[in-house]
Amino acid sequence: MRDVVVLGVGATAFTSQTPEVNWKELMYDAAVKAYADAQIDPRRDVDSFITCAEDFWEGFSIFDEFTPDQLGAVMRPMMTVTGDGLQGLANAYMQIKTGMFNIVVVEAHSKVSELLTYEHVVEMAFDPIYERPLSAERNVHPYYVAGLEMNLYLHATGTTEEQCAFVAVQNRRQALSNPLAPYGARIGLQEIYRSGYAFSPLKKWEIASRADGSIVFVLAAEEIARRITKKPLVYLEGIGWSSESPWISARSADAGYARRAAQLAYRQAGITDPRRQIDVIEVEDRFAFKELQHLEALGFARPGEAGWLAQSGALGLDGELKVNLSGGSLGCGDLLEASALQRALEIVLQLRGEAGARQVPNARVGVAQSWRGLPHGTGAVAVFARRD
Amino acid sequence: MLERIEKSSEIRHWIGDMEADHYYYSAGIAGEKFFVALRDEGKIVGAHCATCNLTYVPPRIYCERCFAELTEHKDMGKRGCVVAFTVAHYDKAGQRLDPPESFALISLGPRTTPLLHKLGEIAPEKICVGLEVEAVLKPQREGKITDILYFKPVK
Ligand SMILES: [Zn+2]
Repeated sequence: MRDVVVLGVGATAFTSQTPEVNWKELMYDAAVKAYADAQIDPRRDVDSFITCAEDFWEGFSIFDEFTPDQLGAVMRPMMTVTGDGLQGLANAYMQIKTGMFNIVVVEAHSKVSELLTYEHVVEMAFDPIYERPLSAERNVHPYYVAGLEMNLYLHATGTTEEQCAFVAVQNRRQALSNPLAPYGARIGLQEIYRSGYAFSPLKKWEIASRADGSIVFVLAAEEIARRITKKPLVYLEGIGWSSESPWISARSADAGYARRAAQLAYRQAGITDPRRQIDVIEVEDRFAFKELQHLEALGFARPGEAGWLAQSGALGLDGELKVNLSGGSLGCGDLLEASALQRALEIVLQLRGEAGARQVPNARVGVAQSWRGLPHGTGAVAVFARRD
Repeated sequence: MLERIEKSSEIRHWIGDMEADHYYYSAGIAGEKFFVALRDEGKIVGAHCATCNLTYVPPRIYCERCFAELTEHKDMGKRGCVVAFTVAHYDKAGQRLDPPESFALISLGPRTTPLLHKLGEIAPEKICVGLEVEAVLKPQREGKITDILYFKPVK
């Protein structure tokens, strides 16, 4: 079957507020950049369009009907994936692999600053009969489940609270070298500790703040891309996704969804020894401990080992594993379904050698991993590579 | 240094509401079993999968591992132990909860899925994984998960 490459990428900067544009203009901004990068005209060249969105995030019923015009997709095949950006990429990948389409656009965004009841929308994702009533009486923030899952993970692996705090410090510091990231900060462990327990053992500054932004990917069949550009191509070598039990109480301590998604993606991409074969890694870190849990699920560390790697400085630009050099969600902000594409964007920039101050020299293979967030256990993994 | 404005309410804006406030949720076959036993007999029941040797609390009519139909119900008793816990310090509006609220995953026996519920009659700093707890039920019950007030430490 034909191979699939990334022909172009475009993104807005990520910020905590975007009152200067509406959500369609935000998407248009990213789309224009992606089409320029891909050297294509969407009205002439793109066969199919995919957005990744969820009505409740957007404040629209049947949101998928509102997306064609700002992407140049009017009167074209257009669909919405109610999932994250990597799940959108997976659909585009299959549309091209089958031979049905040659060029497919994937968009994901966040305009979460305009959602005034974010916490309530998250709570509405809880089971209405068994779970919601427990926190309803005292109006408890639904992120308490992150505290429960962190406790479960620490207890199962022996990972320490300090090791998790290291992740929060490092990713915010790393974000200072990413011009797209709004939450860069030079802070120490003491600031993390001083922020206090939000949902013990989870501390306030171990939780990613939210951000607005849009990201667009243009995927193409390899032979089509070769006709358009002479630039080295980034190949989408494998992609997988998986969902765990939706019951909060039946969840594993080891991010089983990410482990399974990685197995699928690795098998397609021929990855058998991720720690040796993969040069750049972006894993989901909306809560600092999730970075460690996800690194273990993706096979970069044994259970309980990722925390030690973080603490010993092995997870930075100068470390053995180049993890979340973009700043991750802690540095870039929680972009809802677009956080997944933010991770993929970083991998593409790294593999193209366009990552600026945080560039990993000669990066050839990268992995991006997503998690759709609380209260559920759904995630995806994509492997990208240069072949030249 | 780390704080940003994340909500748009202080800026020129238009207000809209999602017309999705009111839903009716059915308890279902398994839920009926669970809530009637809780209300009328003060029992917590689970559904057992013999193939997987696993008991689901609350019960379901199918096993999520082998997809078998589950028809065997078990009285789980009211005692269990804490598998994981958290102490929540914030409410949905971002205000501090005083006192904080403690939640736990409580295992009511070996080879069971734990139950998500609250802890009570214990200081947050005394909570630990493995703590033995028992359910405290409301005297007048309506067939709701909150008929269990919370789990308290076994004396
Ligand atoms: Zn079974």
